[in-house]
Amino acid sequence: MNQPAITVANERRELTSFWAGDQEYCVDIMSVREIRGWSAATPLPQSPSYMRGVINLRGAVLPIMDLAERLDLPPTEPSERSVIIVVQVGERLVGLLVDAVSDILSINPEQIQPTPDVGCDQAKAFVRGLITIDDRMVSEIAVERLLPELESLAA
Amino acid sequence: MDELEEIKVTFFQECDELLGDLESGLLSIDAGDTEPELVNAIFRAVHSVKGGAGAFGLEALVRFAHVFETLLDNVRGGKTLLESDLVKVLLRAADVLADHVAAAKLGGEGDAAATAAMVEELEAWTSGGPGLAPPSLQADVQPNEDGIVFKPVTLSLPEFEDVPKEQVWTITFQPMDALYARANEAGLLIREIERLGEVEVELLDDALPVFDSLEPETAYFAWKVRLKADVTEEKIREVFEFVEDHCSTTIAREAPPTALVETGPGPDIAAILAAAQAAFTEAEPPPRPQRIEASDTEPVLHAEPATSVVPLAQPATVRASPAPAAEKANQATIRVDPERIDTLIDLVGELVINQAMLAQRVAGHGFAASSDVGRGLDELEQLTRDIQDSVMAIRAQPVKSVFQRMPRLVREIAGLTGKQVRLVTDGENTEVDKTVIERISEPITHMLRNAIDHGLESAEDRAAAGKPPEGTVRLAALHRGGRIVIEVGDDGRGINRPRVRQIAIDRGLIAADAQLTDEEVDNLIFLPGFSTASQVSDISGRGVGMDVVRKSVQGLGGRISISSRPGLGSTFTLSLPLTLAVLDGMVIDVAGQTLVVPLTAIVESLRPAASEVKKLGVQGGVLAVRDAYVPLVDIGRVLGFQTAEINPAEGVVLLVDSEVGGRAALVADSIHGQRQVVIKSLESNYQQVPGIAAATILGDGRVALILDVDALVAMSKREPPRMHEPSIQAAE
Repeated sequence: MNQPAITVANERRELTSFWAGDQEYCVDIMSVREIRGWSAATPLPQSPSYMRGVINLRGAVLPIMDLAERLDLPPTEPSERSVIIVVQVGERLVGLLVDAVSDILSINPEQIQPTPDVGCDQAKAFVRGLITIDDRMVSEIAVERLLPELESLAA
Repeated sequence: MDELEEIKVTFFQECDELLGDLESGLLSIDAGDTEPELVNAIFRAVHSVKGGAGAFGLEALVRFAHVFETLLDNVRGGKTLLESDLVKVLLRAADVLADHVAAAKLGGEGDAAATAAMVEELEAWTSGGPGLAPPSLQADVQPNEDGIVFKPVTLSLPEFEDVPKEQVWTITFQPMDALYARANEAGLLIREIERLGEVEVELLDDALPVFDSLEPETAYFAWKVRLKADVTEEKIREVFEFVEDHCSTTIAREAPPTALVETGPGPDIAAILAAAQAAFTEAEPPPRPQRIEASDTEPVLHAEPATSVVPLAQPATVRASPAPAAEKANQATIRVDPERIDTLIDLVGELVINQAMLAQRVAGHGFAASSDVGRGLDELEQLTRDIQDSVMAIRAQPVKSVFQRMPRLVREIAGLTGKQVRLVTDGENTEVDKTVIERISEPITHMLRNAIDHGLESAEDRAAAGKPPEGTVRLAALHRGGRIVIEVGDDGRGINRPRVRQIAIDRGLIAADAQLTDEEVDNLIFLPGFSTASQVSDISGRGVGMDVVRKSVQGLGGRISISSRPGLGSTFTLSLPLTLAVLDGMVIDVAGQTLVVPLTAIVESLRPAASEVKKLGVQGGVLAVRDAYVPLVDIGRVLGFQTAEINPAEGVVLLVDSEVGGRAALVADSIHGQRQVVIKSLESNYQQVPGIAAATILGDGRVALILDVDALVAMSKREPPRMHEPSIQAAE
């Protein structure tokens, strides 16, 4: 997997943070291709409910994933203010439906703590680490684990 | 990559084409085609491989090609009889040549032992017959279909006879501009002559004008070559065979060999050429010609030399063109980086979508179709379609390139299994997108192996079953329903259904009391871990079963199925999408969603009367269409868009033909009309979705899904889950 988030010691990383289901998450800014407003997606049949469907991204078919629902949080109600963060995962692009973009974080890699052993499987699977900024806790999403990928074909 | 490496890559690409020509030519001859041009064509193919290989110093390849070529030359000259045994040998020699090319590509040399054996065989034929000459050879002279009697001829080959005396040839060679323009190289030709014997080369620069009137793209130089060798004029002429229209050549023999002027060692051709080339490229006055021999003949181009020289009967340029077809093919080919074409195709796709959007917006502003704007838009649409068709045609390729590789495979497997096999191919000009071409070779290889290894019986078994001892394997390609269908059929024993069923039960793949149709039993062989061969064979066993083939086919968005008739044979059917192509579709509405149904799948659309809709069972239903009952398929329900059933009498019904389930009636809410759509892959950013072939972008910029009619019908039938493509829920 061509994950651009290669951490080099003492090199500051920049992360884009956003709100999804009342919690703050972030992804490496290098994997963010663009941020766009919500537009109605064409639903995909026989797909997991967190896959909201596909939209037209300048001629390419972009799958949209409801991040909150993927993390087992209550599904997002898309509104005018909802945002789609287009992230690159390997060779693919996927749009993450979130409530709002909040911040650009510039941190030292040491600021990221490993995910503690919590009861929620989805959190353990998709959260790479935790970042504390003042009294905020921001979870870094491991985008490459989000897509159902080819698991289903291998099944 | 340096320049030479780049040229080398081109050379190997050409080699592949030439080897393909060679094999298909030989196969045509094997099939009874007596067209003399075929022999010329195969000779030229080997000759060109040899020529190119010589330029790159691929000695092993050159040596083998030379032996091969010598025999072909005899065949061409009628000295060796082209009979069926020889064609078989030539086919195997072509395989060895292909091995050499493949080895050279990797920087190595071909298998020495195999080469030596083949060289021996070829040389035996060259010198008059096969090494272990079948006694029938002499007696077996029968008129062929055209009534032409071929008679074996005793050979007089220089290599094997004590040839009297060395001859001295004087060759003048004046390239025309066109020779260089076609990327031929005078130096290579002169080197080619050098292979024939001892040479002296003299540069004739009389045509060179003063510096001011020097044209950079004009050929000014000519060369005179004195060749000391015991070769025929024909042999020398061959060197110029490919450039004969673009140079003037005279070849003459100096009469008394005794009159030969003894000269020093051969000149350094490379130095002369380098000097000549430098003169060309730098457009500087070239150095004065280097006199390299103290010849007493005048360095005049066309005048007869002072010595008694036999002038050429005919100037080379007047000779009939030997290969109009080959020449045309050369001119028609241009090599382009495939990525550039991909980019072009993507851009044209955008153009089509944009044109549709524009049309929709213009219509929204109330312009009439007859207005200036409307007419302009019509023209734009026409042009867009034309561009799209042309661009797609660039990347479409006949499946021939894949099919051509198969005869060799079949020969090899036939050899390994000891079975007699005849391969029949059909539809090799069927065109399919290049991306598909590249990936169908592997599944075809597997299916062919399977057909020969498992499908066909041994000659004895066939005889016992009253069949001809030679089994037939048929490889065919055709377009059907907007997809390419590849069939691999054999006339073997067919699938042993009780045995397949038993194995499936033994391995726990199906329940012992499972009720399966014949078709379902046949398709059990695609289940993982299923192999019917009692012995794991070298050819198609070893765990790589049909399940792997099916998986790779599904990865391409394709399907594979088998049909079999006991005692008569089996046919594998592989159906693949013509990726990235454009599709003519019917735009329909289902449960608030816009979907596109490929037009090729639709037989007709109709609004059924309530009386024609019959309930069958709890949820199912059939539609009475002209005395036949067709199962109803509610698209919205099958895809999970809605749970409530549409009343077909209130909606629209599309009658479709599917590969797996025969005719079906798809129920939709309404029809919007026909439209050409650009296929956008769902897999590029997501993955395959059951029942959906691909997506497209409509005029309003929204994504619409394109239905996979066959999969949809199959899903509606609720076959055992393992017979389906796995669903996405499995990932959860």
